[in-house]
Order: sequence, then structure tokens, then C-alpha cells
Amino acid sequence: MTKEKILRGVPASKGIAIGNVFIYEAREIQVFQTPILSIYLNEESARLERAIEQTKKELTEIRKRINQEIGEDFGQFLEAQIMMLEDREIIDTVKERIFSEKKNAEYIYHQVISEYAQKLSSSTDIYFQERVIDIKDVAQRVLKNLLGLTRTSVIEAPPGSIIVAHDLPPSEATLINPKNVLGIAMELGGRTSHTAITARALEIPAVLGIEGLLSRVKNGETVIVDGNRGLLVTNPSSSRINFYETMKKKTILVEKALAPYCELPPETRDGRHIDISANIEFFAEAEHAKKYGAWGIGLFRTEFLYLARKGTPSEEEQFKVYNALAKKLKPHPVIIRTFDLGGDKIFSNYREANPFLGWRAIRVCLEEKEFFKKQLRAILRASVNKNIKIMFPMIATFEEVKRIKLILNEVKEELKSKKVEFDEEIQIGIMVETPSAAILSSQLAGEVDFFSIGSNDLTQYTLAVDRGNEKISQLFDHYHPSVIKLIKEVVDSGHNGHIWVGLCGELAGDPLAIPLLVGLGIDELSMSPSAIPRAKMVLRTITIPTCQEIAKEALKYRTALEVKKFLRRAVHKNFPGIEGVI
Amino acid sequence: MIKETITILNENGLHALPASRFVKLAEKFTSKVEIIKDGIKVSGKSIMGILTLACEKGAKVTLICNGKDEKEAFNALKKILKGQD
Repeated sequence: MTKEKILRGVPASKGIAIGNVFIYEAREIQVFQTPILSIYLNEESARLERAIEQTKKELTEIRKRINQEIGEDFGQFLEAQIMMLEDREIIDTVKERIFSEKKNAEYIYHQVISEYAQKLSSSTDIYFQERVIDIKDVAQRVLKNLLGLTRTSVIEAPPGSIIVAHDLPPSEATLINPKNVLGIAMELGGRTSHTAITARALEIPAVLGIEGLLSRVKNGETVIVDGNRGLLVTNPSSSRINFYETMKKKTILVEKALAPYCELPPETRDGRHIDISANIEFFAEAEHAKKYGAWGIGLFRTEFLYLARKGTPSEEEQFKVYNALAKKLKPHPVIIRTFDLGGDKIFSNYREANPFLGWRAIRVCLEEKEFFKKQLRAILRASVNKNIKIMFPMIATFEEVKRIKLILNEVKEELKSKKVEFDEEIQIGIMVETPSAAILSSQLAGEVDFFSIGSNDLTQYTLAVDRGNEKISQLFDHYHPSVIKLIKEVVDSGHNGHIWVGLCGELAGDPLAIPLLVGLGIDELSMSPSAIPRAKMVLRTITIPTCQEIAKEALKYRTALEVKKFLRRAVHKNFPGIEGVI
Repeated sequence: MIKETITILNENGLHALPASRFVKLAEKFTSKVEIIKDGIKVSGKSIMGILTLACEKGAKVTLICNGKDEKEAFNALKKILKGQD
């Protein structure tokens, strides 16, 4: 029997799946040249037209599905694909050469497309090189239709499948049927790839970016996709399967038990309302937020708008997304965070030694003013819905906040002079995720309407630990006394300045942390949608005075371990009802 | 015929989306539209042709419009290249 192997990748969509491998092979269609008699050349040319017509139908159909299931802004690559398909220049060239060379349509079409692809891939710009993927995606579809083939498609995956692929073409990822497909594993792709976003929208566990995946699995064999930790287990031992089965069963039981909490208001047992909101990345997730009973959206990450199309989305595209989101959540709040992108994501030739300490997020926006203003205009226009707030990431200094406000005012004035409506009382807030912003929070509180503590980055910067570095990641701990102390500082400064304070890192959804955070006085907790029912259950069990006692005591400890041990004891003693979900 | 060298100021260069806007607009005119970059000439009504030029922001291209409505075509298309559409 072959030995169990654990392959590592990027955790792109949460959950556990145990199922049978269904390999999606994107093998290129083989094309052969055949001489064609002159009398049949007209038919050859007509065949090409029909294949293109058929392909257009297919792409339009896929485009429709994306619009419905994921969101309109996301299917724009298909618009470009359809234009590539209908490119008159190409069709005419192919037809001319069919007649002059007297050869079959698929051969000539393949030749012509390859010439274009060749030119593109020799470009020095990554963006243009990557368009080869689109062109080949389209061309393979045309060839398939010319030859009357049925390509393996993920549509054919039988029930209980784990889709394994080198890469799924974007047009293919959208065809995944969640009834049959339990999980996805791929060699390429990251958290913001088409496949990742589709998987999260469908709530299918996915692990992407697994090197050498295809050489290690066979069609039909059983594998485990651990989308929580980014693992794929091949040839799982029976004890491993048991472990994951038990974990799955437990998760399902807990989910069932927690389901009633989706509907209940987010209040402590003694009646204090705490906003329990959702962190989301794209429009379709708003549905999950509502399903799990989120109060509002505490963090709408806008980076995917940029990354999905590898370029700046226009003001109109952005407006459509922000507006749809605001409408969907009304009257509950939607907090939109401006682009939190590294300079290297925007400028392909920009490199730096320390990206986390480098030119990113607000630092890029303040320099690339037009880019920033375009986003602010789109957000402000959507704010007519009266439930949008703006949040700025990676603030480290007072001057940054001042400069942001100047630019925001410029945009507001421009809109006013054009008689464009927006919410003049729109709240603005900052992410507190650098130690500097936390330490300076009492001065910053006078400038904004709210703080949202980004506990992941705050921990990383406070402890000077890159959690992605396996050698030191054990030093990364949200419960470190230095982090807890900074959180207290920020909450106190906020409240002294009469503004509200939220927290939107992983800590927010951690049931052990909730009594502590509530005791420190936090007003809002924002987390991934699926964590909400559990957080509400915890919240509805605890009481303010006891949490305040717990918070006071927790601040006395010296290490993260001591803090966690104390919190466990405190929960056991005061709120035994929530021990089962910790 | 109108012929002029233009620096591409559209913020992403002629990426797929601006390129498709360019082609859609070019198709509305009867004039022949061509773009030349580094000595390579492509039809302005072909998205694949334009993409193969790999026009980044700051690249210099020559826009040629030839036909009855060349003036209107030229002015409208120039705007896309300059990111003013």
C-alpha cells in the first residue's frame, strides 16, 4: 500500500472535503492538417463560421451564469474573450488562408492563433503575456466545436468529486456544480484567483498552488482537502480519515446547534448590543453574511476588484459594486476599506526588499492621487444609500490622516460642483494596525469617526514577526500581552474621543477572545461570515461586568500562554456554557 | 488621412478592457483605423492585433485614420489612448 502524503498549498476556501479525485485535464486539442479539394473550400469556411457562432453562444451562456452567481463585475474577462473570438481580422485571415493554402479550417485557425499567441508571449509585460491564457481558452473552445469534440468539463464530475487540475480556465471554474463537487485542488492559483473566488462563493473547500499535484494523484483515488490549513492528503491512512470525518461531523453538529443564533440579535445576556459584522471580499459573499446573521459588513476588502482584472477598475465598475452592496445591506452599515495593495501589485516593475514595511496601502494611494480619488469618488457616489462608511488601511502617522481628509474633501467638492449626490455625513475611520497608530490613538481619535483594529497586522508589527515564515511563525500570537495592551489603549482613546472602536482581525471571531474584547469595551467585531453564529452564541452567554473583570485580570499576565490559560479558566468558571465551542 | 504619434496615457496601457473599448468604438466608423508601434502595424479594429502590440502606459504609438469620417474617428479614438474617455 502506498504511503500517505501531505501536500501543502494555499488555503483558498475554508472547510474539509473527503472525496474522489476527478482530474480535469486541460490537454491541448491536437490538430492535423488535411488538404481540402477546391470545391469544398466554401464549406470549410462555413464550418469555421458555425464553430465561432457556437462558441459565442457558449461564452455568452457562461457570462450569464457568472452575472447571476458571482457578480457582473467579475465576468468582464469574458467580454474580452468574446471580442477576441469575433475579431474580424483573425476570421478574415483564416478564411483567406483556407482558400490560398487549401487546408482544413482547424489547422489554419490553430496556425493563425498560435502566431498571435507567440507575439503576445514575447512581450516583456506580464499582463500581456498572461492574455495568452485568454486567447488559448477561446481558441480551444473554437477547435473543440470545429472538431465536434466534447472536452472533459468539470460539469461531468460525478457526485463526491474532488476536482484536481493544473489550472481551471476561468470559463471552466464557473461551471462547477456544488452538488457533485466537494472540494478543489490545483497546482496554480492563489487566494484571489478566479477559482478561489468561485470556491468561496459556492462554499466549497479549496487548496490551490500545490506544486507537483498532478504527478501525485490518480483519477478516482480518495483524497482529503483541508481548506482550513491548506493541505491535501493523498492515500490517507484510516486514522487520518477518521480524524477528518470526526472533525467534519463535529463541525456539522456544532453548525446545527448554532444555526438558531443566526436570527438572534447580537447582544450580551445583560443586553449590551455589540455589532457582529462580516469581513467579505466580493459581492456574492454578502449573501453569506446575511445568511449567517451579520449585522452589517465590517470590512469590505476592495483589493480583489483590482487583482481579478490585474488593473484599475474604472470608477463606474467600482461604483456598481459598492452601490449593489450598500443596497443589499441597507439599512445596516457597510464599511469599505480603500485599496490595501502592495506597490508591486500595481506596478509590475516595482520591487522592494521589505514589502510589509514598504510602499503599500495608504502610502501608495497618497502618492497615486488620481488612482485614490477614483476609488473615493465611486464610494462617495454609492454613499447616497446612507449606510456606507470609508476606512483607510495601514495608517502610521497623523499627517497621513490629514492628507487623506484633504483629498477626500477635494473629491467631495468636485462632486458638489457637478451636482452629484452623496452622503455628506459619511463616517470615515482608520484601521489601527501599526503600533504607531495604536500608541497615537488618542490624537488620531479627534480626526476620525471610528477605529477598526486590524489585529492580524497589529500582532505582526508589534511582535515584529512575519507569520508566513515557518521558522518564526510560532512567535505570532494574538494573545500576546503587548497586543492586548495596545488594544486596550486604542479602545480607551477611542471612547475618550467619543468614537466607536471595532476589531476586524482573526481575533474577532475567536470565541476565547470575545469575553476579553467585550470586557475591554470593543463596540464592533467583524469576522468571516461563517464564524458569526458561534460569536453570537458566545456573546449572548456573557455579561458585561464579568467580562470587565476578566479583561482587567488578563492585562496582568506576562506571556501569551498565561493569558490564554487564564481566559480558559475564566470561561470555565463564569461561562461554562460556551466551553463546548472554544 | 490623419496620422499622429500619441503617447499612451491610459493608466493601464492598452489592456484588454480599454483595448476592447477602442475596438468597439473604431468599428463605429467607416474609416480604416491602424496603429503602429515599433514599426509594427495592426488594424485598430482587431483586439488581438492591438494586444500583440503590448502597449504599456507611456508607450508611443502612431494612430492612423483614413476615410470619410476620419476626423471624428481620430478625435474619439485619441481620447481612449490618452485615458480621457
